[in-house]
Amino acid sequence: MIDMQAVNKVFRTETVETYALRNLTLKVNAGEFLAITGHSGSGKTTLLNVAGLLEGFDAGSYALDGQDVNRLSDNERSRIRNEKIGFIFQGFNLIPDLNIHDNVEEPLHYRGMPSRERERRIVASLERVGLSTRSKHIPSQLSGGQQQRAAIARAIAGDPRVILADEPTGNLDTTMSNQIMDLLQEINAAGTTIVMVTHNPELAQRAHRQVHVVDGQIAHTQQFKPWKAEEGSASVVS
Amino acid sequence: MAMRSLRRNPYLSALMIGALAVGITASMIAVTLYHARSGHPIPWKEDTLFAVALDPRDEGPDDNFARHPEYPPFQLTYQDAQALYASDIPVRSVMMYKAAKVLTPDRPGAKPFGVAIRVTTAEFFRAFDAPFIYGSGWSRADDDAPAAVVVLSKFMNDKLFAGANSVGRDVMLGGHTYRVAGVLGSWMPRPKYYDLNNGTFDIPEEVFLPFGWMKALKLGTAGNTNCVSRNAKFTGFESLLTQDCVWLQFWVEFRHASDRARYQIFVDNYTNDQRSHGRFPRKNNNWIVNVTTWLGMWDVVGDESRVQVVLGFVFLGVCILNTLGLMLAKFMSAAPIAGLRRALGANRMDIIRQHLIEVVVVGLLGGAAGLILTLGGLQVLKVWLFSGGLQDTENPDSVALVNSFVHMDLSVVVIAIGLSLLTGILAGLYPAIRIGRLAPATFLKTQ
Repeated sequence: MIDMQAVNKVFRTETVETYALRNLTLKVNAGEFLAITGHSGSGKTTLLNVAGLLEGFDAGSYALDGQDVNRLSDNERSRIRNEKIGFIFQGFNLIPDLNIHDNVEEPLHYRGMPSRERERRIVASLERVGLSTRSKHIPSQLSGGQQQRAAIARAIAGDPRVILADEPTGNLDTTMSNQIMDLLQEINAAGTTIVMVTHNPELAQRAHRQVHVVDGQIAHTQQFKPWKAEEGSASVVS
Repeated sequence: MAMRSLRRNPYLSALMIGALAVGITASMIAVTLYHARSGHPIPWKEDTLFAVALDPRDEGPDDNFARHPEYPPFQLTYQDAQALYASDIPVRSVMMYKAAKVLTPDRPGAKPFGVAIRVTTAEFFRAFDAPFIYGSGWSRADDDAPAAVVVLSKFMNDKLFAGANSVGRDVMLGGHTYRVAGVLGSWMPRPKYYDLNNGTFDIPEEVFLPFGWMKALKLGTAGNTNCVSRNAKFTGFESLLTQDCVWLQFWVEFRHASDRARYQIFVDNYTNDQRSHGRFPRKNNNWIVNVTTWLGMWDVVGDESRVQVVLGFVFLGVCILNTLGLMLAKFMSAAPIAGLRRALGANRMDIIRQHLIEVVVVGLLGGAAGLILTLGGLQVLKVWLFSGGLQDTENPDSVALVNSFVHMDLSVVVIAIGLSLLTGILAGLYPAIRIGRLAPATFLKTQ
């Protein structure tokens, strides 16, 4: 699903060059649940941003779902983000003045999907995360866990091939964190690849595999359980 | 989405719209007043209709023309007007002046009242394209006789004859009876270019009388008389005919624009000849000028109006800069949300489109509010500037003249809307492009 070969990402200021990713090679299989761990500043989030086409990279190659993304135009990158990737952020990143329904609708909108189909997916994904009764609430009316579930509903509504989650439980207490992890595991079990950045080693162990990033490189990998090769492409929300 | 963004900060949005509206109001009021002053009253005769001014002044500085010493006096002496009137180079020549008389209505109980009279030669109506609704003007022979005929303005005909066709009816003017030869339709050249002595913006006279009545009635001028020679002695009506005092307006219309050069030679020859008889001590300074030049010489538009327009637009500029600042601040503070939208699949054009819609809405609302404020402001100006003139008038033409001053025409509306849109687009495009250019992750980090 994700195939990065010797990827470099350098942040340059006038005087300093900082390697956020250094010759990083990473392969994530379709249907796999991968946890990325590492200390602050190790390059985890940059890795996720590059994987999610939110940032470019300086050297190496990257194929997403079999497609080389090196030389894509901005519009094509936007389209791939929209169609193949679902994002979940630590701070939820819901649009504050849109209600939950409209937040979930946002990515579907950019896909130019007919309204009936949009509505069907919104209802299904909100139901999937247990928020069907809250669709008219605005984010500030919900708890942190509910907001993160709304963000997950937004991520899965477009039926993405891969979900990139950046510390999805970082702002939540243990109970809520576990609920979110349960949800992510269910989604993964239904066939969606998940790449999750986390600080929490316990949560990391709920993934199939963990890679530990140090100084922009993968320091070691740990396999917790085997993953099944993709069986068909079961949709998450339908 | 754009509307939602506007509603997110209602006070900020109101401030932006308000700033634009105030700037547009200031500039539009200035432009409207400037427009009213700077219009051309008879553009189709720009190449054929000319005012004539000669310079019979003594040598030496003239305090009346300190700003433009090169200008001759704007009116003619009777002697010179008579001489020029004899020329057949122009297809029409008009000499004339403004007078006043008492008119006695032919109705029991109706009180006599004063009227403004234009005493003029016959070609006035055709030279200045004054439209008739009933009858017509008079002939040159009627001028010479003089025939007891008048032409009435529409207002006077409405007042005396309730708007009926009054041709052939009698009018009692200063104790004499005159027959109505014609009635003008609505006619209000703006400015009143054919005689600017009694104010730049004035309504035409109510009664028009053949020029011959000037001598027959010893009818003096209600306009401006200026004796330009030290030797001139003004002792009464006769002096108007014999002394070097200017008091007559003189206009010519040519069939072809090329006749003007011939006429200039004719006029120069006339003043040369006069010089040999001891008049016109200065060298020839004979002006034959079209309406545009004439209005410029009279400074009809006025420096004040121009300064007002400049100040109005400077103020608009300040307001635009303010709005620009507010919009930039608003958009940059909303950049993380734009970044999030990019992450969710919006492309650059989606972001730019959303910003543009928002700024166009702000621009249009600002423009609309500005137009409403301008209309209100013009009504206030109307009360302030013109209430004195309107208090006693029963003449709808006076009211119409004032209204025409504070009337916003289509071009002004178009300028206002264009400006507000341009402002909005200027203010919105930069942040939209900036946000569109940067990688979505840049803004997500700041979330």
